[in-house]
Amino acid sequence: MTKTNNIHEASFRDPSGYMFHDGGTLRRVINPIYFPQYRKLTESGFYKTLINNNLLISHKETSVSEEKIVITPEKIPFIINPYEWCFEQYKQAALLTLKIQKYALSKGFILKDASAYNVTFHKGKPIFIDTLSFDFYEENTPWRAYKQFITHFLGPLVLSKYHGTDVFKMLQTHIDGIPVKLIASLLPSRSKLSSVLYTNIHLLAKMESKHSEDYNVETKITKLSKKAHNNIIDSLFNYIKKLELKEASEWGDYYTKTNYKADAFEKKKELIRQWVLSLNPQKLIDIGGNDGTFVRTVKDKVPFILVTDIDYNAVDNNYRQVKKNNEENILPFVCDILQPAPGIGFNNTERNSLIFRLKEFAPDVTLALALIHHITLSGNVPFEKSAGFFASFSKYLIIEFPTREDSWVESLLIRKREFINHFDFYNETNFEIAYSNYFDILEKQQIENSNRIMYFLKIKNA
Amino acid sequence: MNLLYFDPGLGAMIVQAVVAAAAGILLFSKNAMYKIKSFFGLVKEEDSYDSIDIDEQDTETNDKNE
Repeated sequence: MTKTNNIHEASFRDPSGYMFHDGGTLRRVINPIYFPQYRKLTESGFYKTLINNNLLISHKETSVSEEKIVITPEKIPFIINPYEWCFEQYKQAALLTLKIQKYALSKGFILKDASAYNVTFHKGKPIFIDTLSFDFYEENTPWRAYKQFITHFLGPLVLSKYHGTDVFKMLQTHIDGIPVKLIASLLPSRSKLSSVLYTNIHLLAKMESKHSEDYNVETKITKLSKKAHNNIIDSLFNYIKKLELKEASEWGDYYTKTNYKADAFEKKKELIRQWVLSLNPQKLIDIGGNDGTFVRTVKDKVPFILVTDIDYNAVDNNYRQVKKNNEENILPFVCDILQPAPGIGFNNTERNSLIFRLKEFAPDVTLALALIHHITLSGNVPFEKSAGFFASFSKYLIIEFPTREDSWVESLLIRKREFINHFDFYNETNFEIAYSNYFDILEKQQIENSNRIMYFLKIKNA
Repeated sequence: MNLLYFDPGLGAMIVQAVVAAAAGILLFSKNAMYKIKSFFGLVKEEDSYDSIDIDEQDTETNDKNE
């Protein structure tokens, strides 16, 4: 850790405690103000039930004193943030939050916040990671985190239904969720016909602006029975469970659209497996990995695999496979490599940038298949720059280079029209020269029956 | 007692009574429809999502296995 103080950068909003780095281990301090809640949650078996059901990250008590209790949660290898989730992941995270809130309520507790950052993905499933998000339930009080649930979960999900999953990126500019007023204004007026959307979004937006100037908090807060509370949770759960994307059906099978033959495809798979396994890697990332087809050829040998793609549908498809096959070691997420997630929040460090997380994660090997022509020709990123990018976090790189004769490269070039000559540099030789500044070429192999060359690279001085 | 470290939104606190009432009506009518449908054998049990309820029985068996 290079941080001067060891407190985790995202851990300052809640006075109940904070996370800190103890060497390479992330631990959580609980302040005395939260001792009563923590003890009750532990003694009543509440934590235990959630942990045993794989809903809450497990933890061990490390030390107990009068000033603080320290707990050590199970390590999560890689944190992905809400703006990197696909629709299905987002939906699952929302349902998990409601499920936990319902259970908490039945045991005399309540979720005191409903931030989407309380959830991440671990071992193929969504998991709640904020152990201190619970408080005692007081009879007849409304849910304090209700609005947060709407701005962090219901709003983005409903907007994605109408406008596509790109709206999840709005979470990058709104760290505390999309403002209710904005959600309401972006929804079509027919959404007012839904009793769930009318009350939870349109009416909420109206009430929020009506009472926004009550600086002295003079208005009386309504009472809300436990039954009414449960009704809200149940109806939100039912609604979100049924939410589907309109665009989902458009997803065709990507690999039927490949421009090379089945035997070439199999050879490519075999070669990748051979190269990857020769490294015996612990951590792998496939950038532009589509639905995870290629990493699945090595999933039995690599303990932890990240797969990113720019296409929400591909990630969605991948995540569904992870769920279906119980692939605990594959973590899919959305990423546009030409614009990876930035650091956001206070100091721009509250949620770390993707690059920061990748460097910390330090994959043993990076796969970049059928990607370089997009980076170079669609993104206009010179070879030199993309080589530097890959070299910043990967020790080994397996990269595929489609030559100018490849039909996709051809089509990308034709679209440059009169500027086509500006891209004459796109060839094998220039690629090798640029990448040799950062990497040594261990192996190079042309895939038969295709216009693709595979490179197995090792970072210099590693 | 209440640790209000973020603004829960006054409007959001007030609106919950209405939200809950609407939700109550919706859930009641859905339940009624479900009962009618299952009476005529029209209910298909197809649910890929876990239910909202947490199985505590499961917990106990897990404990024994530990």
